[in-house]
Amino acid sequence: MTSTPQAPLARLRRELFATPLDGLITLGLVGFLLAVAAALLRWVFFQAEWAVIQANTTLFAVGRYPIEQQWRLWLLTTLLAAATGLSWGLLRGPSRRWPVNDQLAAGILIVLAVVGSWALKLTPAIQLRWCGIAALMLAVRWAAGRWGHTWPMGLRRLVPLIWPLLYLLGMVLISGGLGLMQVPPSEWGGLLLTLLEASFAILLCFPLGILLALGRRSDLPLLRWGSVVYIEFIRGAPLITLLFLGQNILGFLLPGGLAPDRVWRAAWVLTFFAAAYVAEAVRSGLAALPAGQLEAARSLGLPMHQALIHVVLPQALRIALPATVGQFITLLQDTTLLSLIGLLDLLGTARTVMANPEFLGKNAEVYLVLAVLFWCCCAALGLGSRALESRLNPLTTAKA
Amino acid sequence: MTSSAANSVMIEARGVEKWYANGYHALRGVNLSVRQGEVVVIMGPSGSGKSTFIRTFNALEDFQKGSIVVDGMPLSNDLRNIDAIRREVGMVFQQFNLFPHLTVLENLTLAPTLVRKRSKVEVEREALELLERVNIREQAHKYPGQLSGGQQQRVAIARSLCMEPRVMLFDEPTSALDPEMVQEVLEVMQELAREGMTMVVVTHEVRFARQVAHRIVLMADGLVVEEAPPEQFFSNPQHERSRQFLSQIA
Repeated sequence: MTSTPQAPLARLRRELFATPLDGLITLGLVGFLLAVAAALLRWVFFQAEWAVIQANTTLFAVGRYPIEQQWRLWLLTTLLAAATGLSWGLLRGPSRRWPVNDQLAAGILIVLAVVGSWALKLTPAIQLRWCGIAALMLAVRWAAGRWGHTWPMGLRRLVPLIWPLLYLLGMVLISGGLGLMQVPPSEWGGLLLTLLEASFAILLCFPLGILLALGRRSDLPLLRWGSVVYIEFIRGAPLITLLFLGQNILGFLLPGGLAPDRVWRAAWVLTFFAAAYVAEAVRSGLAALPAGQLEAARSLGLPMHQALIHVVLPQALRIALPATVGQFITLLQDTTLLSLIGLLDLLGTARTVMANPEFLGKNAEVYLVLAVLFWCCCAALGLGSRALESRLNPLTTAKA
Repeated sequence: MTSSAANSVMIEARGVEKWYANGYHALRGVNLSVRQGEVVVIMGPSGSGKSTFIRTFNALEDFQKGSIVVDGMPLSNDLRNIDAIRREVGMVFQQFNLFPHLTVLENLTLAPTLVRKRSKVEVEREALELLERVNIREQAHKYPGQLSGGQQQRVAIARSLCMEPRVMLFDEPTSALDPEMVQEVLEVMQELAREGMTMVVVTHEVRFARQVAHRIVLMADGLVVEEAPPEQFFSNPQHERSRQFLSQIA
């Protein structure tokens, strides 16, 4: 397709109304889309009753997390927003204009914080908090983009370490300990539980998947066949089966402290499940790398583990990044299955709300909000991955 | 050319035989002895086992029969022994195999800092000197993908030299290059030979072989057919197989 600069009207005419039939099809499609959009808007603004959402915002957000302890979650959200802004800004570097994707993300964030929290009829204090958190993220992103590149390289290399540290801190803030009141997992719910399960599984399945992929390509038969059997068994079984199985057997398989209750058992099943898929994504990255890279590293005297860490994995993981993030997005959506084993994740919470006689028949409203929430989370993951990809220059990967 | 006939033996290969997993008999009992400071050029038709043979010297290929001793260290399956030999043996590949995710300078300093545990500042200084020697110091902070083929191969040579190897193996170092870039790589290799580096070179470059090699080895069908000084090899080959090969590349 050529894209010569042309008056928009002329282009429209050439591309959409070239022949009478083309024009007819165009008009028909546009009419259909307008009708659907009008119906949707009419429903959203005049027919839908959003009280079901407005009355249950806290339940959707955090489940039955004790109200007097919720300041811990606000603190965590604030820290997460700051860390996101920091990583985002550093990833983009010092270009003065924000890339289109960033402008879009910032726009959606502002709309959600301002219009979203107003439409949900949150109390003014909480509306203000959300706006503050969004403003903080964008401000940190701006500052890190503006001045980040002037920091010493050593300091910038440490920034990714914020995430695991923040995760540990988050676990303490959420579950208690170190002087904070304990909040048992049975009281976690809603978006909090969904994100917690997904992030736990994402963080752990990644290293596990890398080890499995390396194992599958290993020369040691035991390691290779062990990895193959594991990967193929997990990929051959539906997640829901494994979730039920995990509830019954993980108590025996894992040492007592690791899977003390249903929430953690489910988190481990998600981890083990996703690891098999991540392993296949990473394996494709390893396979795409020319054999000469490993040979060159080894012929320089690098032992196997150093050759993998410094030469093979940095390139293979970059190749595997899009597929891996795709897997993470699937994982996030798979957490909805947790509602089927009785956990009150986002979907589980939604089902209890819809079962409440007060809100009977309000399913459409609830599901639409759920879809939007999931879309936001997945879009954020996707945008982050694309930013990372463009930062890890394709120029710097060996061509086969 | 330096005369080094009295020097000690650097590589000693005796009766090396190799079968590939599919049963193909790639090396059928190859003998070769390379003295310190010697430049040996291995020639021969493709599929004759030249590359496979020199890749056994640093254990990139295994072999089933025979023995190879490199700088006094016998090649065995002991991993520590293999890593020790690889530290002393530099290798330059047909496809350069630079690490594309690292800058030119990082390509050079990676192994010395990790394997020899030397200080980064010191290694970087030496690396820059090496890049100066191969005439691409000004590219030190670029990525390999931004360099031409000839430049990349010179970086690859410098990367091997940065480990201060006792032997350098060259596996068809100019075969993947555009014709106008072959000379710049050969000049670097010639310079290296003049400084007394022990080199085993698999190549089809007749001019390089004539001018630089102390000895030409002709391989065919997994065997050494003829071994002779270049003057004799090119003007008066003893074996029918050598004459046939020379008539094909002339």
